[in-house]
This record gives sequence, C-alpha cells and structure tokens, in this order.
Amino acid sequence: MSATNCLRCLGRPAVAGASRGVIVPVFAPRTAPFSTTAVQNAMPGKPQKSMEHQDRSVRVYRAGKKMKIKKKGNLDRGKPPAPGERKAFRKKIVLSNDNALPVPWVTEMVAGSLSDRKQVGTIVSLPPVLQDQLRATEAFQPTQTWGLFRKPSTLIRQESVDLIGKMEKAVENKETARIVLTGEKISGKSTMLLQAQSHAYLNNWIVIHFPDAQELINGSTEYAPIPNTENPTLYMQQNYCLKLLQSIKKANEKIFAKLLSVSSHSELPQNITVNQPLLSLINAAKEAEGAWPVFQALWSELNAQGANRPPILLSMDNLPHIMKISEYRSASFDKIHAHDLALVKLFTDALGGNARFPSGGAVIAATNRNNGPRIPSMELALKQRLAVQNGDSEGMPVKDPYFKGYDERVEKVLKTVEVMEVNRIGKKEARGLMEYWAASGLLRTTVDEQAVSEKWTLGGGGVLGEMERAALLTMKI
Amino acid sequence: MPPRLNLTSAFRALSLRASTTPAAGTSQPLFLQQSQKVAAPAARRFYSGDNLTPDSQLPQSEQLPPSSSSSSSSSLSPEQFDNAAQQSVRQQQQRQDNVNALNRLEMVAYGLNPFDAKEEGHKYGLPSLPLPSELHKDHRYDDVMGQITRLLMKDGKLSKAQRDMAMILNYLRTSPPPKLNPLRPLIPGSPAPHFLPLDPVTYLRVAIDSVAPLVKIRGFRGMAGGGRSLEVPAPLAARQRRRTAFMWILDAVQKRKSKGSGRKMFPTRVAEEIVAVVEGRSNVWEKRAQVHKLGTAARANLMNPQIKNFL
Repeated sequence: MSATNCLRCLGRPAVAGASRGVIVPVFAPRTAPFSTTAVQNAMPGKPQKSMEHQDRSVRVYRAGKKMKIKKKGNLDRGKPPAPGERKAFRKKIVLSNDNALPVPWVTEMVAGSLSDRKQVGTIVSLPPVLQDQLRATEAFQPTQTWGLFRKPSTLIRQESVDLIGKMEKAVENKETARIVLTGEKISGKSTMLLQAQSHAYLNNWIVIHFPDAQELINGSTEYAPIPNTENPTLYMQQNYCLKLLQSIKKANEKIFAKLLSVSSHSELPQNITVNQPLLSLINAAKEAEGAWPVFQALWSELNAQGANRPPILLSMDNLPHIMKISEYRSASFDKIHAHDLALVKLFTDALGGNARFPSGGAVIAATNRNNGPRIPSMELALKQRLAVQNGDSEGMPVKDPYFKGYDERVEKVLKTVEVMEVNRIGKKEARGLMEYWAASGLLRTTVDEQAVSEKWTLGGGGVLGEMERAALLTMKI
Repeated sequence: MPPRLNLTSAFRALSLRASTTPAAGTSQPLFLQQSQKVAAPAARRFYSGDNLTPDSQLPQSEQLPPSSSSSSSSSLSPEQFDNAAQQSVRQQQQRQDNVNALNRLEMVAYGLNPFDAKEEGHKYGLPSLPLPSELHKDHRYDDVMGQITRLLMKDGKLSKAQRDMAMILNYLRTSPPPKLNPLRPLIPGSPAPHFLPLDPVTYLRVAIDSVAPLVKIRGFRGMAGGGRSLEVPAPLAARQRRRTAFMWILDAVQKRKSKGSGRKMFPTRVAEEIVAVVEGRSNVWEKRAQVHKLGTAARANLMNPQIKNFL
C-alpha cells in the first residue's frame, strides 16, 4: 500500500503528480471502443438543461418524457429462499412429536414381530437404528402421519403378517418371492413396503429400495447409452445410480463390512481384489462417472453363488411408472421404453423371475393409485393373476380385442408374479389403532364400539389412510 | 288412526335380547346400557377436570391396550365353559322375555305405547334429546372453528379451507408449548401453556380471543365541524370481535414470507402467526392497542348531542 503523504517532504500533493509534471493516467471507465453506454453511465452529474427550456418565451414541447406510475404494494426486499429450500420444506420428514404422550403398551419391533400372527392388531414402534436405515432408503413419506406421534410406530395388519410369511417361506426354500402389492388409494401399500423393509433389516437381509419409480423415467436424471449393447440399446443413469449406491451403503453398512468379494474387479476406478469387504467396493463409486460399473459389480457380487450371501430384498414403490414409455429419447430421437433403462431392467428381470438370489429373498413392488399412470396391460395382468390365485378360471378377465394400447413387455414381466391386495382393515385392527391414537392424546374421544364403528365407516369401511384423515386430519378434535 | 300395536316388531324385539346379562327386570333402553359400558379410555380426556393428571388416568394394566384387558379368563375348561354359558344365557333370556312381556302388558293397561322407538330396533340406541350441538350438521364444529374456516376460504372452496384448518391444528399440536410474554397477557381463564398443544382448538381460540378488540371506531361524516368526521367508539359483538382479530392475523400472514412450497405452506404460515400471537411477538397486539387507545380518546364524543339520534 502506498502512503498518501510524500515521505520525503511531508507535504501532501494537491493533485497527485500534477506538480511534478508526471503524466497521470485518467481513470476513465474502460469499455469496448464501439460502445459508449458504460461511459455515459459513469458520467457524474445530471445532463445539462438546454437553454431553450429556460427561456419561457419559447414554447417547448416536452418530448420523450413518459408518465410514470409508481407501483404500489410492498416491495419484497428480503432474501429469497435458498435453492432447494422450498422443496426441502415440502419433503421434510418429521418422525416424532414431543407433545404426544408415550403409549405404555407399545413395544419395540424385533426380528420376529412382524411374522407373529398373535400380534395382529397391535402397534409396534421402530427402533432408532431401524429408523436411520429406513430414512436412508427414503421409506418414510411426507404425506404419512409419522410426525404426530411420540415415536414412529406401525400397525401390524393381517396382510403384513401374510406378506412377511411369504418372504420367510421363500428364504427357507432359497427361492425368490415376487410380489406386487395393489389396493386402493391410501390403503397402506407404501407402509406395507416399509414393514417388509423393516423385517428385512431386522433379520440382516440386504435391502435395495427404489423409493419412487417416477424418478427413473421422467427425464430428471442424466442418462447415457451403455457401450456394446445392441438390440435393444440399454441406458445407464449414473447420477441416480450413485445416489442409490450411497443409500444402499448407508442402510446396509454393517452387513457390507462383513461380506467379502469373491472375484476381482479390475475395470473399476479403484481396483478391487478378491476377499475385500464389499463396503470398499461401494466406496469405489465416488463420482457419477463410475457409478454404473460399480453397481454392476456389486450386483454380481451379491448374486455370487456359493459365497454364503444373506437374503436380498429388492423393492420399488410406484410401480406403474416403469411400465410405460419413458421420457427419454435415443440418439435417433425415438422414445425409449422404460424397460430399456438398465436399472429398471434389473428390477423387472428380478420381478419377472429371471434373477435368482443365492440365499433367496424377495422382490416386492407397490402400485400407486393417486399419481400413477393407467397401464392397461398391468391392470389386466394383475387382475388375471388374482383370478388365477383365487382359482377363478371362469371370471378370468380377457384382453379387449379392439384396444391397441397393450404392452407385451409389461405382460411378460407380470406373467408369474404373485398379487397381494392391501385391503381395508377390520374393526379389531381399527380398534387397536384408535386406542393408540387416543392414548397418544391425539384422538380426544372415548374409544368404544360406537366410536370405532364411526371412524371405520367414515374411512370408507376401513381404508386406513381415510380413517387417519377422518380422525387425525380434521377440524373436530 | 290405526293402532300402533304391531306384533312382528314385538317378536323381533324379544329375539334381540340375548347379548349381555343385565340384572333381570331392568327395562332400560339400549342406549342407556351402552353408555354404561363406557370403559377405561373414557378417562383419556386427561385435562377435562383440573385435578386429573395424565398419569392417574392410565388403565391399571399398563402394558396392555384397553381392548385386550377386558377379556377375563376363567378356570373352567373351554367346553364346560361353553355349555354353562349357553345354558345360563338361555335361562336368562327366558326370564328376561317374560319380564319384558309383562312390562309391556302393564304399559298397554296404562294406555301407553309399549313399542316406543326409543327402546326398540336401534343398534346403538337413540341419542338423548335435545341433541348436543355437535350432532347437528350445521354446528358440527366448534363455533370459532366454523367462523374462522370460512374466513380462510378463498373462491368459495370450503373443503380446501377445512383441510387448511386441519393442517393448522396439526401444526399447533406438534409445535412446542408457547413461551408466554407477561407483557401480553392472554385472555383470563386460558389454560396453562403446556396444555395448549394437545388441545389445538383451544389454542386457536385463546389466540384469537386474546387479541380481539373490544370496540371499533365509527366515523360520523362532517359532524366534528370543518368537514371532519366525528369518531365514536362502538362496542363489538363476540363474532365481530373474532372476525376483526382473525382478519388482522390474516393480514400479518400475508406479509409473512413463504419459505417453502406445497399445500402445507399457507397453513404453516397461519399457524406460525398464531403461535406468535400467543407468545406476544405478533404485531396484531399493536393494532389492538391502537384501536383501544383511539376508542378511549374518542369516548367523550359519545356525549355529542348530534349523534344521539344515531346511537
């Protein structure tokens, strides 16, 4: 920094350098020679009035002036919300409410809780470790009412016991249960998925969960063709894949630390040799670029035969979204079918029965009714499967011969799946649930037969979400 | 008028009397029996009385929900138990039927209608009259709730306003108990702050009633001389007071910044303002004080002879 005063003579020069006859650069704003705007803007003072205006005898028309209307209303001078903040508010998940009373008879969920037929109609709470795992896989949804109660808890329904029973049976026989959950709006399909995941985590399964199938196909993540795939060309979604890998890692960290690799993977960004923990394999995916090969390597490791792998749960919410043409386009601008996206293909192969997990496991998908597209092939296939399961060969629905919108690929995937309907709950379960609400201090009525019957009826005859709306999301508290 | 004595309904009524075992000879209406059966969870409205605390209200067997604790066990084997139970039920039914029939005959003798709708043919009995207001379709909500929901409404969408109101109540339920400001006392008789979150309707009512102004200022044009209007305070009715207060709150909500998106944003802003009112942080308190000050200053104008005809 230079001193303002001359150090030799202690005199302050009036104009720097002027007295000494030194050429001083003029600090004019530097602009491109063909533009004068910046220079004009930088000029100090007002533009001078012309002499004509001061002479009153001359009539002057004021040209170039416009009437300005000052805008009323409050100007928003505050800081706008940061990018992503508004969405974060929408997606925020709160799992506890300190105002709600603790319910003494609610126990913590253990490995065998969900398969215990005696516990149907009771409420169990999710242990904290499990909460973190479920959070990592985005199993909780902001529209559910977790935030009203002291601890996140869930009702054990007849359907959940049935579902878990099927999962257990499949693992006993080293098979893969392939199940599609259907049912009405807000009847608890996603919560059933959450229960399946909870059971899997508590029994040391590996869980890979796609929280929303819509994210895969609606053109919101980057995609690229996988080299050396022809007829059809497959596409990878590296960013989504990285996110998925991180959530898998966070949720299954303990198991992956123990499992060791059975083959070497030299093609990855970080060389993985035999007998390294799978955790380091996942850690090899640092950036989106290498995510897909890492995921492939992980998938092949998990499916390695004879390596004593734990059972696998592969689950997906909002299934109908992946049963249609995606929003992506190929290089020749043709629409890409969702089943040509590699991640979707992995899931549909497993759901269709082409993948075989070494220690068995389950592939579970839940349909959605609120935001989901209508897929005629899927609806027909599910109805047909239900008819077959019920042994109702006469009432088997058939294809409409005049309708063109059926999709063979969808039918092929759903040809052999098992369909489970998530129905309305019975009055016994409803009573258990309402006693829990009342004991939490959220339902301020006596829970007797009449009250249960009232809410059960208001909730469409036991549709669980509608019952919640009637009792918990109401002005009459 | 044909006689209302109908034998089929009498038989139907007789066959229905098998369920529980009240003492023989009781001719109580069904709905009364129902109301006596109200079990332990009735006490769950834990601060309906002052001396009750939540802990003292829990059922004796804490580890069981109320529904499972009612099923008592017995030392008999299941078959024995079934037989004995069936026999006793049958006997009791016969006894009961006889008693009922005799009662009815007695009523006929007195010229009364024995098959009164009050007693027969209703699964849950008939409600006692006069109906409590919440059973009437037009008064099913708390009076403040009903009024305020309509003030929230835009474009005539009442259902959306009701949903918003429910979200406001849920926000109040999940927010921590308010920290009261001693300079801004709430309306007398309001419950302690730690009771408010679990009773969100009262929470809202306390907030609105606390900032509701007592008077409004009426201007009589040109009566103050020189073209000025004469300002005169006028008392407000309860509904008017609440309306004014809530419109002030909604004005404050409009100025509040929206930090998120989605259908929960507007209710969240309203609820935040209501918490701010209870905690004494809101500007609505200033507005109220201003109106009251003006009213106090202008009360001398009530004696103005010109306006006596208007009041």
